[in-house]
Amino acid sequence: MSQITNDAEFKRTLQGMDPVQQRVVAARFVEHVLPLSTDERIARVTRVAADKEASAEELSGALRTAKAATMDSHTRCGSEGNWTEQAGYFVSRAAMAALTPCEQCTSGSPAWQAAMSSRMAQTSILIDSDDATPVGNEWQYDILSNYLNS
Amino acid sequence: MSEIEFLSWIRGPGFQIATIVLVAGVVIRIVEILLLGRKTNLAEAKGSEMSSGLRTVVTRMIPDAGTFRRSTFTIVAGYIFHIGLFVTIFFYAPHILLLKNIIGFGWPSLPTQVVDALAMVSIIALLAVLVHRFSNKVLRFLTNFEDLLVWFVTIAPLVTGYVAFHRIGLPPSTLLGIHILSVELLMVVFPFTKLMHTFTLFMARWYGGAISGYRGVAS
Amino acid sequence: MSASLEKGINALKEQVDSSVASFFSSCVHCGMCADACLFYTETGDPERTPINKTEPLRRIWKSEYTLFGRVGKMLGLTKKVDDKLLADWETLVYDSCTLCGRCSMVCPVGNDIALMIRKTREGMAAAGHAPEGLIGATTRAVTIGSPMGVKWPALEAQIGHVEKDTGMKVPVDVVGAEYMLLLSSMEIMNFPEFIDAVTRIFKHAGISWTISSEAFEATNSGIQIGVSDIAAELVQRIVDAAEKLKVKTVISPECGHAYMAIRWEGPNLVGKPFSFKVRHILEVLDELRKDGRLKTTGMESQKLTYHDPCQISRRGGVIDEPRHLIDMIAGNFVEMPDHGKMNWCCGAGGGVSSNERADEIRLKVFQRKKDQLDAIKPDAIISACSNCRIHLEDGLEEYGMDIPLLSLTEMLAEHLAED
Repeated sequence: MSQITNDAEFKRTLQGMDPVQQRVVAARFVEHVLPLSTDERIARVTRVAADKEASAEELSGALRTAKAATMDSHTRCGSEGNWTEQAGYFVSRAAMAALTPCEQCTSGSPAWQAAMSSRMAQTSILIDSDDATPVGNEWQYDILSNYLNS
Repeated sequence: MSEIEFLSWIRGPGFQIATIVLVAGVVIRIVEILLLGRKTNLAEAKGSEMSSGLRTVVTRMIPDAGTFRRSTFTIVAGYIFHIGLFVTIFFYAPHILLLKNIIGFGWPSLPTQVVDALAMVSIIALLAVLVHRFSNKVLRFLTNFEDLLVWFVTIAPLVTGYVAFHRIGLPPSTLLGIHILSVELLMVVFPFTKLMHTFTLFMARWYGGAISGYRGVAS
Repeated sequence: MSASLEKGINALKEQVDSSVASFFSSCVHCGMCADACLFYTETGDPERTPINKTEPLRRIWKSEYTLFGRVGKMLGLTKKVDDKLLADWETLVYDSCTLCGRCSMVCPVGNDIALMIRKTREGMAAAGHAPEGLIGATTRAVTIGSPMGVKWPALEAQIGHVEKDTGMKVPVDVVGAEYMLLLSSMEIMNFPEFIDAVTRIFKHAGISWTISSEAFEATNSGIQIGVSDIAAELVQRIVDAAEKLKVKTVISPECGHAYMAIRWEGPNLVGKPFSFKVRHILEVLDELRKDGRLKTTGMESQKLTYHDPCQISRRGGVIDEPRHLIDMIAGNFVEMPDHGKMNWCCGAGGGVSSNERADEIRLKVFQRKKDQLDAIKPDAIISACSNCRIHLEDGLEEYGMDIPLLSLTEMLAEHLAED
């Protein structure tokens, strides 16, 4: 399997994977940005998402928890935004995406959504810090490639 | 005061006073609304104010299905007594005659049995409306002295008219006098109360429709 | 009289015009407005009857602008407006009303009750009786440029992310661009995918557009709190930027009150017509569809429905456009019972979501939306206002409902036909 080097390839590959594969890869994206969230529920639901054998009830329970975490962490309209905390919101969104069934996803690929949300989590941290350098997306291509090669 | 004196006062000075109060009062209330004016809307229009306003004057009479389901009693009872009032006032032969003497022309009347039946139906509707005002949470909260006064001066002419027509209890001329008195009471109370909606609702519906229509929403 | 109360009373006086006078003159206390208001239907609290929320304004109209009322005032017979009244009315006017305007649609005498409540807020705010959350948001909007404290560098970073993801340029401060896009802080913070989506669609359609680094904020907190001077200042910033960049059309994003503020109240707040047009993003997308410049591929098979954001549809006039756009990509679309201009509010607009004190009631009245959804059981809900989206999600989560929320613009972007 050749190295994925750009987003078009990345997205296409993700969209071509079956639901379980997407979920597991998505969980790995979330794991990578987990340190940006202070909500311990996210670690728990990510473990469920990463489990190939997770049952339907476990998954829907985890999704519900991810949704609750997302609601709890969003910045209320009109309130003072904090980008470092907002990163946690994007991590929750990524977890939510990982656990969302394919049919309910706008782009048809929960893993792509999770990837996007993880990137936004990193952008959020960037906004708050004065001299951080932007992180590329290679880490996501690597995760995908490693998963497919294993 | 003898009965003759009472009746001639009712039909003479009484009626004149009531008419002056009604006409002057209505004019004052309408003029003071118009004098306030309204700023021109400077936003780019998506629809026409005038035609939407005019249309809403009519269409606001027709509630949408969901609204009808939620406010059924208010709408149905409201329609019944409004139509009843309209018919008993304007399509009862003696009333048409009275109006003809004032404005110079008349129009065909409806059979008295029809007017009679509608008057009774309207009275029942108004009684139900009063009960509703006290049994419904929202109405109980909103209802004030003015609502009750207006209710009274609206139902009184219907009841006294019905009683006069059927000659129940007192001599016919006395009953007629009481009926006319009740109408004069209505006229005198009219400009000070929400009865003004009879005229101002055309303005309110026009404004409501115009505001919405400007933004391209048919209301 | 304290200085604040006097300011409040003067503010209320300024709000009375012939429309307001005709409205108050015509109200017959029929109570139908309550039946149309979700803050009444889901709580059963008659104080939340819409026309009741306007009581401070009504007292001013009566005692200052009617002959009989003025006479009554001289005789000490009229009801006054005092601090106690305004304090008592704060939760009715702010926590229990989103200015959704459903009451205005059903009033049999034609009263625009939502407009009257909007006007009442002017008096409440001037007298110091507005919710803390809104005061904070408004202060930030004036001093920082965004009610949520979003500054240009933050948006720049989001733009950088979008450019990397899409491989497309997001034009900034381009003089002579045809369109200038505004963004709401809610989108920038909570739904930045919107920027992504718009960039891709505009590239696909070949539109010349730009964002202004000096005035990118669409949200107008002044409208929500009810202080026209502040609302005007916020609008003026957009006007200045649009004129500086010489754009033909300013685009209001997926935020309800932002559209009302810039499209309908804007020119009236600043006192002169705009030299440019204002359109909602959905209006622009629909124009592109009509011109054949927006081409999509593929249809969604899941059962979709559309939540009409009140300020965009019923109060804004953008009702058909979203439906034309949805038709392009939805194979299985159902309307909610009571849809279009009669749809029910999500419960969070008009400053309610900015107000922590109103959290409980906001989630309680979501029951109305829940009932609508239970009737049609959709697989997903499409909407076009980021505040509606987050609060529909919040309500759905609260009531244990598993229905995802989708943005119409983002959906269209996903279905763009490759050139």
